[in-house]
Amino acid sequence: MTGWLHDTWQWLLAVFGPVALALVVGLVAVLVWVQVNALFLVWLERKVAAHIQLRIGPKEVGPFGLLQTVVDGIKLVSKELITPRPANWVLFVLSPLLVFTPVLLPFLVLPFAPSLPLRDLNVGLMLIFAFSGLNVLAILMGGWASNNKYALLGAIRSVAQNVAYEIPLLLSAMSVVIMAGSLRLGDIVAAQEGMWFVVYQPVAAILYLVGATAETNRAPFDIPEAESELVAGFHTEYSGMRFGLFFLAEYTNMFVVASVAITLFFGGWRGPFLPGVWWFLLKVYLLIFVVMWVRWTFPRLRFDQLMNFAWKYMIPIALLNLLVTALVMKLVG
Amino acid sequence: MLRKTLIHDTFYLNLGPQHPSTHGVLRLLLRLEGERVVECQPVIGYSHRGHEHMAQNRSWLQFLPNTSRMDYLSALLYNHAYCLAVERACGITVPPRAEYIRVICAELNRIASHLLWFGAYLLDLGAFTPFLYAFDDREDILAILGEVTGSRLTYCYCRFGGVARDLNQAFLDGVRAFIPKLRRRLKDYHTLVSKNVIFLNRTKGIGVMSPEQARDYAVTGPNLRASGVNYDVRKAEPYSVYPELDFEVPLGEHGDCYDRYYVRLLEMEQSLRIVEQALERLPSGPIRAAGVEQEPAPPPGAYHFAYESARGQLGIYLVSDGGRIPVRMKWRVPSFSNLSVLPELLAGTLVADTIAILGSLDLVIPEIDR
Amino acid sequence: MRALWEYLWGVLSGAWSLAAGMGVTLRYMLQPVATVQYPRQRLPLPEAFRGPIRLRAFPDGHHCVACGECWRTCPSGVIKVQGLKAQAKDHNRARYFFIDFSRCSLCGLCVEVCPQQALAFSREYETVGPSRYLGVKDLIAALEQEEVVP
Repeated sequence: MTGWLHDTWQWLLAVFGPVALALVVGLVAVLVWVQVNALFLVWLERKVAAHIQLRIGPKEVGPFGLLQTVVDGIKLVSKELITPRPANWVLFVLSPLLVFTPVLLPFLVLPFAPSLPLRDLNVGLMLIFAFSGLNVLAILMGGWASNNKYALLGAIRSVAQNVAYEIPLLLSAMSVVIMAGSLRLGDIVAAQEGMWFVVYQPVAAILYLVGATAETNRAPFDIPEAESELVAGFHTEYSGMRFGLFFLAEYTNMFVVASVAITLFFGGWRGPFLPGVWWFLLKVYLLIFVVMWVRWTFPRLRFDQLMNFAWKYMIPIALLNLLVTALVMKLVG
Repeated sequence: MLRKTLIHDTFYLNLGPQHPSTHGVLRLLLRLEGERVVECQPVIGYSHRGHEHMAQNRSWLQFLPNTSRMDYLSALLYNHAYCLAVERACGITVPPRAEYIRVICAELNRIASHLLWFGAYLLDLGAFTPFLYAFDDREDILAILGEVTGSRLTYCYCRFGGVARDLNQAFLDGVRAFIPKLRRRLKDYHTLVSKNVIFLNRTKGIGVMSPEQARDYAVTGPNLRASGVNYDVRKAEPYSVYPELDFEVPLGEHGDCYDRYYVRLLEMEQSLRIVEQALERLPSGPIRAAGVEQEPAPPPGAYHFAYESARGQLGIYLVSDGGRIPVRMKWRVPSFSNLSVLPELLAGTLVADTIAILGSLDLVIPEIDR
Repeated sequence: MRALWEYLWGVLSGAWSLAAGMGVTLRYMLQPVATVQYPRQRLPLPEAFRGPIRLRAFPDGHHCVACGECWRTCPSGVIKVQGLKAQAKDHNRARYFFIDFSRCSLCGLCVEVCPQQALAFSREYETVGPSRYLGVKDLIAALEQEEVVP
């Protein structure tokens, strides 16, 4: 029995080579990680929200209600997938898949630890931003294909918002890239040997976090799914696991965005005593906690104010910051 | 041609009757141009139960439980108003202790109503947390009122000539502990909400209602006072023991959503003051007037009585032929007039503002539909 | 210059207001929770609690004389009561006393109007049932489970 397994392994190794196999194993690991992470984040979100609001939150299923999200996931999977009759079927079905795919790809380059990125590409940062830009296409598709007015309004808002907020996001990341001199995430972490970049670039860090919150459609920037106005925004018509995929993508996206923030500004895997990966995860979850804390504190911005905020405050400040960074680097370096 | 129609195409959006922000079964038919509201047409009547007709089919006393089901958020105020109206028509004098008890409970109920509005309004604006803080405070009030009224929401506590039950120690202790607690909480609300830059942006200068507009549409209550018109039935046509109590009528300046919000928060503080004073002065004595029939009937004639409910002026118009059963009973509910100004406020605003303005008016739909 | 100053002031004061708000929520997060885990923990009922009405039990049974005052007063027409005389020239005593709790609004008028003070509120609050007919309660039958008030 084991001999047979061994033979197969040898054959696979011979045919596909170690790199391809590593990618397959990595992909499976990432898929599992994405699920586990999303389940944990949903649980964390509910717990944080509950305690802020003087409640307990999930507590019945599993210790501290940890399995509650698993049970919810099973419920979602077992629910009927409803496609409204006037909807554009192809786009409607495609949209949740499309929203989920790009959030997986950044895991290819995220440096959990010095040796852990699957591929340490020299344009890692660009790859992440490129794929997070795809997100908005899926939302637009889903919102438009639903043939629902609320969904359409949500989709329109989402596009405008994402386009506006990607600029400060990129600009603030750019100032870090200028300091590190590389787009490779590993190099950026390595450049923070002495001091985290958040110390040199506090403005960029804040801009990045605000932009990232908007990019992931989280409160106070959750205009596309503004519950009290647009019912559920672009995913009003989605049910079952299709809705679940949107949900999964949102939380995974949060993790990706927080990981990038940690890599850019908070020293990545660096930290004393513990192995790098633990520091990385600790920092990421701390940052996500802050994002959740923000969500459960503030009211929602209005759509035009959101755009104003991006174009009148964030982009000028980000540009100025970039300019100053470039000047200082030129003078110092 | 096609291009032109595409650009200028308006579309209709049905906001409600099932929508998270219409608080009940109000339906707004919005004509939109993009996200801008061109025209708004409220459609009401989804929870019509015919309370006024019911009144013509039952005795004066039997209508008591109905009163608390029109505006279920300030049920005790309606209860109080109806009892005062019938008492005035019949010429019954209520013992002072009973009247003080009624005022304490009514003001607590007014605070509970405003708290719920505060929470729900913030929920409309996307902040979930203040909603639950407000509910925590409101829960205290419900527990306190439950001590004497025995119910939590649809009270039937006032009776013709008094109240159903005397205050007990648990009630007094509860109120005394609650007043400082709410004062602390109000301070937190100001930090968390009133000064929050996002909230200010969402509400300042949105849905401005001029005093003239407010008068034209007979808007009353905090909505009217937010426009700067000093009109509170408790001061203008004093009833009950309000003349003996010292309180102010908070006024707004601009009549925008923020003023409507702020006036309500200040009103909670004033209500706390009223409760404090009333507790201090609470006389001893009977809680039911002696010699009142179980089922009094007003002498023949028509009567009108105005009352300041949590949402504005509540008018009760009674017609009696001296019999057991009212001939006609008309309720002038504040939310109806407050809703009537909505189309004018909404024209030209964004969908997001629609929610902010609709919420700021503090409408209770079952009260409109009756 | 003035405009720039105002712009910066707007940014800073806005940021400060947001930070203050987050301070409030953090403080609340560290406070003990305000909720009660209902099926496991229960709050004490208030003294005046109004549950579905019951007949008060006395050593000699109930005191209802089936005068029908409650029946006539009830705004929802929920009460049905019928009396029986054990023998001629005896007191009338309720033999049947039914309420339809599903339509009761717990106003308490029946309790107040009762000349014999035979009625009281029960302290039952879990009154949900799968059928509306379960709202119909036989108070005479329920009397057997009542604690006798001396």
